[in-house]
Amino acid sequence: MSNDGNAQPAGAGQHKLLELQYISKFFGNVTALEDITTSVEAGKVTCVLGDNGAGKSTFIKILSGVHKPSTGQYLIDGEPVELASPRDARDRGIATVFQDLAMAPLLSVWRNFFMGSEPRKKFGPISWMDSEFAKKTAKEEMKKMGIDVRDIDQPVGTMSGGERQSVAIARAVYFGARVLILDEPTAALGVRQSGVVLKYIRAAAERGLGVIFITHNPSHAYPVGDRFLLLNRGKSLGDFAKSEIEITELTRLMSGGAELEALQHELSRGR
Amino acid sequence: MLGRDSLGPGPATFNGKTKCSVKRTWGWGLMSETVLETKPVNAPSEDGKDAKPVVIHADERIAFRGPIQRVLVSPEIGAIIGAVLVWAFFWGNGAKFGTPGTTLIMLDSAAPLGIMAVVVALLMIGGEFDLSAGMMTGATGIMVGLMVKYFHGSGGPMWLAVGAAFILAGAIGFFNGTLVNRTGLPSFIVTLATFFILKGVVLVLAKRLEHKVQVSDVKDKSGFKGFASFFAREFKPERFTGRDVAFTLLGMGAVALGAAGLCEQSFIRRAAGSARAGASRVIIGIAGVVVAVLAFVMLQRTDSVGANVLWGVVGAIGVILAIVGLAMARYVASERPAASRPGLVAHRDLRAFTAAGVGAVAIACLAPLVLDRDERLPILTWFPTWLRPTIAAVAALTGVAIAFRQLWPRLRERFAWYRPIQAVAFVAIAGLLLMVALLSVLQLMTVQALRAVVMMTMSGVGLGLLMVARGRAAKVDRRAQSEIGALAVISIVVLAFVIRGDSDVSRFRSGLFTAMLTIATLLFANTVLEAMLRKRREADVKADRLGRRLLVAAFVCTGAAILVRVVFTNIDGQSEGGAGSNIARMSIVWWLLATVIGAFVLTKTKWGNWIFAVGGNKEAARAIGVPANRVKVALFVTVSLVGCFVGVMVLARFGSVQASQGDGLEFFYIIAAVVGGNLLTGGYGSVVGASVGALILTMSDSGIAAAGWNQDGKFAVKGVVLIVAVLVNNVVRKKAQEAR
Repeated sequence: MSNDGNAQPAGAGQHKLLELQYISKFFGNVTALEDITTSVEAGKVTCVLGDNGAGKSTFIKILSGVHKPSTGQYLIDGEPVELASPRDARDRGIATVFQDLAMAPLLSVWRNFFMGSEPRKKFGPISWMDSEFAKKTAKEEMKKMGIDVRDIDQPVGTMSGGERQSVAIARAVYFGARVLILDEPTAALGVRQSGVVLKYIRAAAERGLGVIFITHNPSHAYPVGDRFLLLNRGKSLGDFAKSEIEITELTRLMSGGAELEALQHELSRGR
Repeated sequence: MLGRDSLGPGPATFNGKTKCSVKRTWGWGLMSETVLETKPVNAPSEDGKDAKPVVIHADERIAFRGPIQRVLVSPEIGAIIGAVLVWAFFWGNGAKFGTPGTTLIMLDSAAPLGIMAVVVALLMIGGEFDLSAGMMTGATGIMVGLMVKYFHGSGGPMWLAVGAAFILAGAIGFFNGTLVNRTGLPSFIVTLATFFILKGVVLVLAKRLEHKVQVSDVKDKSGFKGFASFFAREFKPERFTGRDVAFTLLGMGAVALGAAGLCEQSFIRRAAGSARAGASRVIIGIAGVVVAVLAFVMLQRTDSVGANVLWGVVGAIGVILAIVGLAMARYVASERPAASRPGLVAHRDLRAFTAAGVGAVAIACLAPLVLDRDERLPILTWFPTWLRPTIAAVAALTGVAIAFRQLWPRLRERFAWYRPIQAVAFVAIAGLLLMVALLSVLQLMTVQALRAVVMMTMSGVGLGLLMVARGRAAKVDRRAQSEIGALAVISIVVLAFVIRGDSDVSRFRSGLFTAMLTIATLLFANTVLEAMLRKRREADVKADRLGRRLLVAAFVCTGAAILVRVVFTNIDGQSEGGAGSNIARMSIVWWLLATVIGAFVLTKTKWGNWIFAVGGNKEAARAIGVPANRVKVALFVTVSLVGCFVGVMVLARFGSVQASQGDGLEFFYIIAAVVGGNLLTGGYGSVVGASVGALILTMSDSGIAAAGWNQDGKFAVKGVVLIVAVLVNNVVRKKAQEAR
């Protein structure tokens, strides 16, 4: 049953893996998020766009179980849930890849891949790590993401930023994630590397996962996204399907939309 | 997916700031950790169907690394090479160094340091230090001693005392670890406090109860005998007449296995179909083996010089034929280049390297002619009168010139009024410094010592340069590679004969001579293979695994050979290290055991992975489900318990213990770990390296003693060893990270 997400990508898109309904979050008298509604389907990518201070981090923390929403409903597989902790979220198949990637740079790829969940072999009372299995699996899983790591023993620190992202994504996928939350995976990357990561995002979605891709860059979001949630100062500017919105409109909304126009107007008048 | 509780959670990423995983980590016991069992959720078999392995890019920029390069990036390699060099250095300089008897004594005295270095290395890889580790060995020893003598008025049984010491040590370790975790203070400070507390308490207790800072006369207390035999039993060597034959056979086995392993990892195997074509080569190879074995048997039988030379040459030819023939039969030959390539002459930098290497070897060969072996005068006194001031002047002028060259561009750039004064002062001081340094070195070093140093370093540097040149040539020009390889072989042979002709010590005349000629033979075979076979450029899992296993077998053979030589004595073995001194002690076994267990835990278990992870990036490790705090506490407790073990071991060995035992040794543990390639910042390192590091430190002590040099120089030597090790580690680590 744990494989249903992966096994039938044909049925993807029908089933809402994760849904948020009218989520709000207050910290004291500060409203961090207000009435946010969106959903993720298997095999689809939902992009969450917002500038700095738009509430993206609060949003991720609610999704990954760090914070509980003040009001509103969090549904997994159509059933309302209350996540107790990030571990709880993880147990339900919601994996978050944070920006710092949770990797030890001097450790080899396969050791990082299985960090904290080492496969084991046993002989009598002695158990040890099954490193052959770990190496083989890490290599295979990376290959499924489309990367041929020639030397699985190479330290993760020697990989490029995009490849490191892909290790983190492949790891999350392998350990049973059905929903993958990516926190600004392209923020620190160059143009080509960003492209590589976007490919991995698409690859992950094609393997039947629901992906939530958080970014502030509409030109990264638009090519891979199926659904776009725009945040501005804690409020939703709208939750669009790809067919409902153009990239120009997305960019306009992103960059403050009406506010920007007002600013432009003001600047031109000042001259 | 939702019913996964039986499988355990999928430990994907989650934010590490929450407490859920931390709380759960405080239960003890290995098996209680079902939380972190691995169960891959998407089984590979099912995934094989629907996954689309569309490889986006195979990174063509990553070059394939051959077996040598792969070994060179492991953390302990610097220490191992260093240990061999230090050993060779003292072996060449002290007649008493390196015999089985003195080696065993040295290993026995190194054991406490070695055992502690292993656990301290683990702790360091986990990102922490324990400055109380040294004092722990003394404190627990004192405590056991005091309890045995004074517990309940007239002393308690030894086992009770030892048990209590272990419990106390564990508690202290737990305290250290917990405090570091809870407060987030640097472990440096926390354990420094523990160190002082321990030291104070031990001194007070020892002085109050024993009225001195030493606890002695423990030997006749109840239960001591059992502990003494457990911790420090003596093994007298057995007499075994076949020792030398067994040693040689095992050594040859190791060489053969090692050669096979390296070939397997370096070259491309022939396809099964083309095996027929290699029949004649197989015959050559087998003939070579037969000839080599025959020559070996004859070498053992005969004893005249003429026969030795004859069978030695025959044996070398046999070995070369065997290796080349068998390798040619098994691996794919390289295609011959159409036109003859230019070779060494065409490459300027290679030429320079080679010339420097040959020059250094030549200097090493000429040194015995110029410098007198039995001259014990300081070099400066030995020089003719007119040369002394000349050397001083030249040194001063060189210093001035160097300083001036450094300064000149800056002077020209910005001329301020104070600059000339500064410059003159700087230049003068530099000149003076160089002069003083050179003169004092010349005054301190005897002609004899200079001779030894020049011969060793120059031959080492020369051969090293040649090997580097050969490695570089391999990338550009095969012919140049062969030529440099031939030059290296010739250099080794010439050096071997120079050493044989120069020395009248039997271990140089026969031992070193034979070893060098063997190396020359193998290098020759290797050069031929490199020229004839195509090198493998990509990974081949099967061949790599087989090669690795062969290399491991070669290591085991080497170990067995050394063991045979140490454990047994042949008929005239008594004369080797003084009468009947080949005594091995249990402590060496404990050291070996500690190293093996430590290495196993670090590289082969999940705990090892966690140690690396916690040291490399604690937050990340915790976020991904590693019980970081528990790992750290476990490490601290381990260090303390092993410190207690060593304390009891020392007590059992000598029957008395000083309160100052172990005081200050914690730095040597850390030094040993650093010399062994462990990073001070954690997350990278090796247990075997730390063990070897301890060996290097001990070797430098006993080597100085054996050479009859000033004992106080050992601190200087340790300092040099440390700084060199750190520099080498730095380079190795950078290489490891960039070269891939």
